[in-house]
Amino acid sequence: MFKNEEMEINLGPQHPSTHGVLRVKLRLDGETVTHCRPMIGYLHRGVEKICENQSFFQGQVWTDRMDYCSAVANNLGWAEANEKLFGITVPRRAQYIRTLLNEFNRIASHLIWLGTHAMDIGALTVFLYAFREREDVLDINEAFCGSRLTTTAFRIGGLREDLPPGFEKMVRKFLAKFSDCLEEYENLLTENRIWKKRTIGVARLSAEDAIALGVTGPMLRAAGVAYDIRKAFPYAAYAEMDFEIPTRPEADTYARYQVRMAEMRQSARIIQQCMDGMPEGPVMAKLPKILRSEVNEVYHATESPKGEIGYYLVGEKGSLNPYRFHVRAPGFINLQSLPKMAEGGLIADVVAAIGSLDIVLGEIDR
Amino acid sequence: MNKFLRTLLPADIAKGLSVTGKHFSQVFFTANRRKVPFHIVSEYPEVPAKVQPRFRGRLTMLKDEQGVIKCICCLACEKICPTQVITIEKGKQEGRKMPYPVRYDFEMERCIFCEFCVESCGFDAIILNHQFELAAYNREDFSLGTVGLDQNMFEPSHVGKFSVADD
Repeated sequence: MFKNEEMEINLGPQHPSTHGVLRVKLRLDGETVTHCRPMIGYLHRGVEKICENQSFFQGQVWTDRMDYCSAVANNLGWAEANEKLFGITVPRRAQYIRTLLNEFNRIASHLIWLGTHAMDIGALTVFLYAFREREDVLDINEAFCGSRLTTTAFRIGGLREDLPPGFEKMVRKFLAKFSDCLEEYENLLTENRIWKKRTIGVARLSAEDAIALGVTGPMLRAAGVAYDIRKAFPYAAYAEMDFEIPTRPEADTYARYQVRMAEMRQSARIIQQCMDGMPEGPVMAKLPKILRSEVNEVYHATESPKGEIGYYLVGEKGSLNPYRFHVRAPGFINLQSLPKMAEGGLIADVVAAIGSLDIVLGEIDR
Repeated sequence: MNKFLRTLLPADIAKGLSVTGKHFSQVFFTANRRKVPFHIVSEYPEVPAKVQPRFRGRLTMLKDEQGVIKCICCLACEKICPTQVITIEKGKQEGRKMPYPVRYDFEMERCIFCEFCVESCGFDAIILNHQFELAAYNREDFSLGTVGLDQNMFEPSHVGKFSVADD
């Protein structure tokens, strides 16, 4: 009468807690997950192929649309990979402004993660609080480059324009209140009994597994590995900044929460340093009118809020567009750790695991 | 059992409710939202939203002081556009040395508002204006140009005229 039968169900593709169109195939034994496979490809737009058919200058608008929560970080990677390909040196003021905006973007991305991850687990209030501060960051984006989400913030060789008037005031106003806001979120979550029960010990991913799967970003740092490309291979103006890499040894969902909260504090610190030590000078390097590549290949990795985002570009002699373009998307590679985290756990913890991955499907499917 | 009882502590419930009460009283005693600066939300359709000076809205063509189109058909914007939404037809106009755009078509449904066209323009003939309420009922409304009935490359378009803020 009581047969021990396994049931196969789909989580998604249109599930509110999958952050896009992700389908997770689950095999359940009662409430325990025995088998878990993420199915991707519902948001595939062929960004890599489009970029191969467009000029180096035009390619940037597509990087906005991969990971739309951290468009500035994607722009930075694209611009720096191209500068490496063409051997362009960017002025120091442009480097500082890039660093500043990139850190703002990290804060915005982590705030989205905090809000949606807490909402998945059941704490709705944090979502509204986090989006309140994210609005200010988007206003800063809008003041600088005219757009809030799909920024197209940088250009190959520097920036399109210098900082707008009144920008410093906006930034200082944000920094003055942001540490209080972070405390407000932590008051809601850090000692919250329900939050702790839902996250401590849930979806563990050990450091060995994380390294074997190629997981990067806050996921890896929450497993106790202090690897951050901003420190390991400094780019933009990060070599001149003083900041720490927050790590936690526990490797569970709660540790990832703590790492990301600490990262936002460090980001605010970097913004403060950028603002204080902003050098004067031009923001755009001297460029030829048309960028024509040589036979060359380049891989450039930067630390996006989700992890290591790498751009691989192959140039062709005299060509206006890249011969081959490939993105090492952090979300795509981090998602491969989902079976490792979810198998053997409860089905309710799959949602916590997906939330703690901080994935954006636009980037995974590209 | 002990653990379960602890989840019902009235102190925790009171703590949570005090935050709610604080925010509720702030809103309740300052009922007219338009006059209160510390509110984070605004009553958007009634109160028009402010945008930053660099905001990237809809593509607009400019005329000089004599009311002549500034565009001289260098086709830079057509070439740079990542989604190929601009089509220009070159032509001549009497009493004008420079080429004159007979047609300047702009397919807004595919525009991604990247401002590359404005950046590439060496004659300041086009800008992105601050119009962002760009919804419309028909697909044809998104095809803008300089000739015919859809002659609305020069002023805010009829697209978005259904906004409550305009009433």
